Amino acid sequence: MWLVSIFASVKPIARLMHTAWGWPVAESLHFIGLSLLIGTVGLFDLRLLGVGRRIPIAAMHQLIPWGLAGFSINAVSGIAFLLAEPDQYVYNPSFHAKVLFIAAAGLNALTFYLTVYRKVAANGAPAEAPPAAKAMAAASLSLWIGVIIAGRLLTFYRPFPCQPPEPGFLATCIPGFHANWK
Amino acid sequence: MDPVFRWIESSALSVWTRESTSLLAYPAILSAHAIGMALAVGVNAAIALRLLGAAPGIQEAEMRRYAGVAWIGFAVNAVSGMLLLIAYPTKAMTNPIFYVKLSFVAVGLSVFVAVNKRLEQWRSTAQTWIGIALLVSWGGAIVAGRLLAYTYRRLMAG
Repeated sequence: MWLVSIFASVKPIARLMHTAWGWPVAESLHFIGLSLLIGTVGLFDLRLLGVGRRIPIAAMHQLIPWGLAGFSINAVSGIAFLLAEPDQYVYNPSFHAKVLFIAAAGLNALTFYLTVYRKVAANGAPAEAPPAAKAMAAASLSLWIGVIIAGRLLTFYRPFPCQPPEPGFLATCIPGFHANWK
Repeated sequence: MDPVFRWIESSALSVWTRESTSLLAYPAILSAHAIGMALAVGVNAAIALRLLGAAPGIQEAEMRRYAGVAWIGFAVNAVSGMLLLIAYPTKAMTNPIFYVKLSFVAVGLSVFVAVNKRLEQWRSTAQTWIGIALLVSWGGAIVAGRLLAYTYRRLMAG
């Protein structure tokens, strides 16, 4: 597929990722970034849903830039995975689901900021968020959890059976699993 | 320890977790472990950021409202982690990094419990160090956990 050849042409990133530490470091950053994202955007969503009502919604929103930082870490590390092993992702249905969930979460956030955000986060706004904001918060939480699940399932939908025990990143293959995985 | 490992590895639960092709076996357990991590570490990171001066509009003590979310994450990960350990006891327990991960988790948990018990009694310098301790211990747990996939010497005893 043309996408694979374009991604595969970015050689320096692939070389870096295939050093002994490249993949584990990028994975660690990816998990740290996701925790940061859920700990900020996820907590803000919970606040909109009514958890911790005594915290003003505007105050809780001050955590969001840290969520963006987490997302950025994951965008960079995620693109590094993609450029290093494009065919493991481009042909992987779990990756398609993950990208769709991320896009939906992005659209959901955009809708939130274009519609209810000003009213909800104004000074002296009521502690109880309106139903529309709650619906978007619930959608955000579900979509990000969907992103995590689709990300974790990537291993099981690899297009090519991996042959354990291969060294390096393929060590994440679960031995005995792929043999009967259809 | 090998006889113990072999005994665990031959148990029905271990075999099912490891070898079932159901999405509800290994894939679901791994997903649960990642979601539990996001909840537990996420809340701890938010508390740490607040202690380090982020989101000044939030009263520090109010962050306690989210402690329950972290406890849900801890519970999910205790159960899913135990299942992963039952699936591959040799893989984890013959790897020194597994114990490094457990130590980071133990330190992180203790600091988290202390924060919830007596946050108000601390001066702001203490709060800064507590915030750093939370970030270091949970970041360390994540890195050590990720390294488990790359550093094991033996997969199974049987």
